[in-house]
Amino acid sequence: MAGLLKKSTGLVGLAVDSNPHESPKMSERMERKHLRILYTKLTAVLQNIPKDAAYRKYTEAMINERLNMVKTEPDVQKLENKINDGQIEEVILQAENELNLARKMAQWKPWEPLIEDPPSDQWKWPV
Amino acid sequence: MTRDAATCPAVRQQARCLESSTTETHPTIRPKDEVQQKQLCAFGEYVAEILPRYIQQVQVTCFNELEILIHPDGIIPVLTFLRDHTNAQFKSLADLTAVDVPTRQNRFEIVYNLLSLRFNSRIRVKTYADELTPLDSAVSVHQAANWYEREVWDMFGVFFANHPDLRRILTDYGFEGHPFRKDFPLSGFVEVRYDDEVKRVVAEPLELAQEFRKFDLNSPWETFPAYREAPEPLTIEAGDKKGDVK
Repeated sequence: MAGLLKKSTGLVGLAVDSNPHESPKMSERMERKHLRILYTKLTAVLQNIPKDAAYRKYTEAMINERLNMVKTEPDVQKLENKINDGQIEEVILQAENELNLARKMAQWKPWEPLIEDPPSDQWKWPV
Repeated sequence: MTRDAATCPAVRQQARCLESSTTETHPTIRPKDEVQQKQLCAFGEYVAEILPRYIQQVQVTCFNELEILIHPDGIIPVLTFLRDHTNAQFKSLADLTAVDVPTRQNRFEIVYNLLSLRFNSRIRVKTYADELTPLDSAVSVHQAANWYEREVWDMFGVFFANHPDLRRILTDYGFEGHPFRKDFPLSGFVEVRYDDEVKRVVAEPLELAQEFRKFDLNSPWETFPAYREAPEPLTIEAGDKKGDVK
């Protein structure tokens, strides 16, 4: 795929993440660089969460796996197939979402035990 | 040319059905999808492990539908997690409704149905509320919740805090009451008519000419062709011994 610029993602509102003035090879590196930045930011945010929280364990495992894939695979098309989460722009968008979520999770602290038990008949069905 | 009723093909086919209805081989039951059930159970456990602060119960129905029952304080955290997390990605809010169960302490059960386009899977999130406690609005997480929450407010009376524009959506402008509550009668409390003296439509207390009648749901079409004739009742005539029944 080196040398071919992607014209559009095919999705409304999702622009192709590349700088058209630079050479195609440079644009491919931009997308991977973008992903790498996002994933490193994510690992930094996850450090604020206690180590035994399930969210941190699972997300860190997934992020490290993806970061390795981004570092080892230079070709964007093959990287998309490896990650298996849609186009690279969608992966970038999802990484941004996960970053926002991680910041909010650090505030909400959902790993703590249950706030309040429901009344005993609340979830009984049939009534 | 006369057509004999007995030789008409439709009657012959029905006769065949009547004869073969004696042995029932396989009742029609929906086949169980074990794989999907296991996947949903696993995902339910995953979510419960990540968010134990808000999740009170997780269940998978027999129709392979995953339901998460949460505390009302956890509406926004749980919905944001399900929308943004990479293993969930439930980007679409399919439905937002309420169920009224008057016998409970928190009579309203608010139901959110979410769809994940990436993984082609659905999930249901349920919370509870009573008549006076407000809930957090889901509009900050899913824009689609806007009108749905207006409808729940109008029909049930559940107030949503931080909603951009919470006003009535289906009832008439001066309407009082919340129609979908179980204690609101079917025909309502007011009826409207045009009054010629004041030259406008007026609302007056209800006066119906007839009481509400409920009909048994008899269908005009035959439902059980095999049982068209009533079975003959067994009779014992005077003079017959016990084992001697015709």
